[in-house]
Amino acid sequence: MKVRTDEFKARSAETTKNPRRQASLKLVYDGLHKGRIAAAEDTDDWEDQRDRARAIKWHTINNLDYYLDLLDKNVRANGGNVYFANDDAEARDYVLGVAKANNVKTVIKSKSMVSEEIGLNEAFEEAGINPVETDLGEYIIQLAKEAPYHLIAPAIHKTREEISDLIQEVAGGPRQEDPQDLTDTARALLRDEFRKAEMGVSGVNFAVAETGSIAIVTNEGNGRMVTSAPRVHVAIVGMEKLIPSMQDLSTMLRVLIRSATGQRISSYVTVVNGPRKAGEEDGPDEFHLVIVNNGRENLLKDAQLREAMLCLRCGACLNACPVYRKAGGHAYGWVYPGPIGAIVTPVMTGKKVGRDLPFASTLCGACKDACPVKIELPTLLLRLRSDLAEGKADPKEKSSPLLERVSIKAWRFGVQSPMRFALAGRLSSLMMAPLSRGGWVRWLPPPLSGWTKSREFPRIAGKPFRARFRKKQR
Amino acid sequence: MADKQDFLRMVRTSLGVSERRDIARDDATSFFLSKDEVSQAADDIRADAAERRTELIDEFIHRATEAGWNIHRVANFEDAAEEVTAVVREHGATAVMRSDHDILNSVPLESALKAEGVDLEIAVREPSDDADEDLERRLSLREKSFDSEVGITGVDFAVAETGTVAMEPRAGSSRLVSLTPEVHIGVMTPEAIIPSLDELFALTRDHHLSGEHKGMINLITGPSRTADIEANLIIGVHGPREVHLVIVG
Repeated sequence: MKVRTDEFKARSAETTKNPRRQASLKLVYDGLHKGRIAAAEDTDDWEDQRDRARAIKWHTINNLDYYLDLLDKNVRANGGNVYFANDDAEARDYVLGVAKANNVKTVIKSKSMVSEEIGLNEAFEEAGINPVETDLGEYIIQLAKEAPYHLIAPAIHKTREEISDLIQEVAGGPRQEDPQDLTDTARALLRDEFRKAEMGVSGVNFAVAETGSIAIVTNEGNGRMVTSAPRVHVAIVGMEKLIPSMQDLSTMLRVLIRSATGQRISSYVTVVNGPRKAGEEDGPDEFHLVIVNNGRENLLKDAQLREAMLCLRCGACLNACPVYRKAGGHAYGWVYPGPIGAIVTPVMTGKKVGRDLPFASTLCGACKDACPVKIELPTLLLRLRSDLAEGKADPKEKSSPLLERVSIKAWRFGVQSPMRFALAGRLSSLMMAPLSRGGWVRWLPPPLSGWTKSREFPRIAGKPFRARFRKKQR
Repeated sequence: MADKQDFLRMVRTSLGVSERRDIARDDATSFFLSKDEVSQAADDIRADAAERRTELIDEFIHRATEAGWNIHRVANFEDAAEEVTAVVREHGATAVMRSDHDILNSVPLESALKAEGVDLEIAVREPSDDADEDLERRLSLREKSFDSEVGITGVDFAVAETGTVAMEPRAGSSRLVSLTPEVHIGVMTPEAIIPSLDELFALTRDHHLSGEHKGMINLITGPSRTADIEANLIIGVHGPREVHLVIVG
């Protein structure tokens, strides 16, 4: 998928001015964020579960070569095939090869963010194969020809009117706006695809090295259809999604699902142990696991940024983030939005993607609090900012702009002596006086106008706190 | 094509480690438990669950109801057949399918449904040594599964923590009978109930390490659902809209 991270400012500005998108983003907070908090409260040893999940993932990532080797051996022992893909083109070509070898005309897909990364649907279409997204949200954005807006709620930005237009265009018939009717229509349309598809493509939530299994978490049942109805199943997994043992699934599923939707468990968890075994009544004859690098090694190489590989893609950091909830998912310009996207996108895609993403954060830390595996998201964002400022991230990009460096120097000079600090405060307050009304400044001259373009600035108090405090003490 | 060894070398280089090394034991993961330890744990789980049966039944019913299962507690297999028949009757269903799960052979479903004029189809095929013929039989079974209105199955495990039932598909136990019909009815005894997901995956891992590897483990918790349209909860997307559990005993 094309990287469009340099458009963050323009696209987020558009979203902040769109009341319909802002209303959708509120749903993310009220539904998913509050749901996560309730589910955590309903789990006796929630913090222990998070710590344990974090430890399991760190152990796996630090020994990733060992567990990749083991996973490969065990998937093969189960009768499946494994393909290691270094980049998006290799992954696409392999999956297309499997489809062609099986004369596939229709592919049913359950949610896979990695398949978005590698542009799989476009590749299928070019090859004359019909890819059908079957998660309702993914189906909606496939009809709209858009990218997912959220890791687990891909079409959360679409209003029912917009969805109604999209579904009616395919289904014909009378216009429906009730979510139940729209879902029923989509169910009927997709049933036909489930019946006839020769191949299913799924993502993977966890790949279990010891048993060569993959676990898929879904609510709609499409994940079960995709892994059970067609003759061929291809699962695509980012190389970080491994866990050592099947027994580790209990902890991992708990923290993933409760952080993602606030459910105690999802309607379905499907653990696939390779192709159908002899004697089984149904299930695919062929199973393929495609393990994808596609820039993940850039994270792995860096002892600090490596922590981003613990990510379970639950979306909790998006729901918690005040910036995501204003800027919206498309502003981040690639597959992974929100705080985790602001970290993995520049690093995986090679960092030459401008300054915007690492700065799209207030560093409030809500993302870290929400993260099921306690990733130090604010620290990692600061690290990327520092790389940029020091010209390490992109040699072509000069370190911070002259104005910023001069301002910081001036600031340092000002705050190093109490007298200078007090004087600066007095001066700023006096200068702001003619611009402020009711204690708020609506307009500041350049270069400070960037702030007042979208919000007000509180007038600096005429009498500093220290003076008032001294007076109180007397 | 990326060669596996090249790929692993890339990972090792990125991690800054050498090829020959022992990975250090880490008790955060259960990976380092021996096969015997896992088997022993599995036995302990079964014993413990038997001891706490009453408590586990209550917790399971509480969580399962919360998740959207309709729970029917009955005293014996005859009553179980009655409950199932009542659900079929309520839906006016004529295409009804069941798996060949052991417990269902004790429930007199055929006769109860026959009295309603419903022929119960069993979701098994006659396996064939001829690959093409076997595929054809499986495809025909798949068609029937898609055409069924009610699917009846047994369950292999029931998890009190989450109100989940788990099945390991095998000969006689199809994957689709609990998925494609609009109504799914699971029939179980309280012996299937275990405390939590920890025990579930300890037991399935034990199966695997003992060489009883199944193609899939299906965890099912309530009906199919989505919240993809303006975050409205809608029941019944691709899987069943209505789900029942009949607990016998």
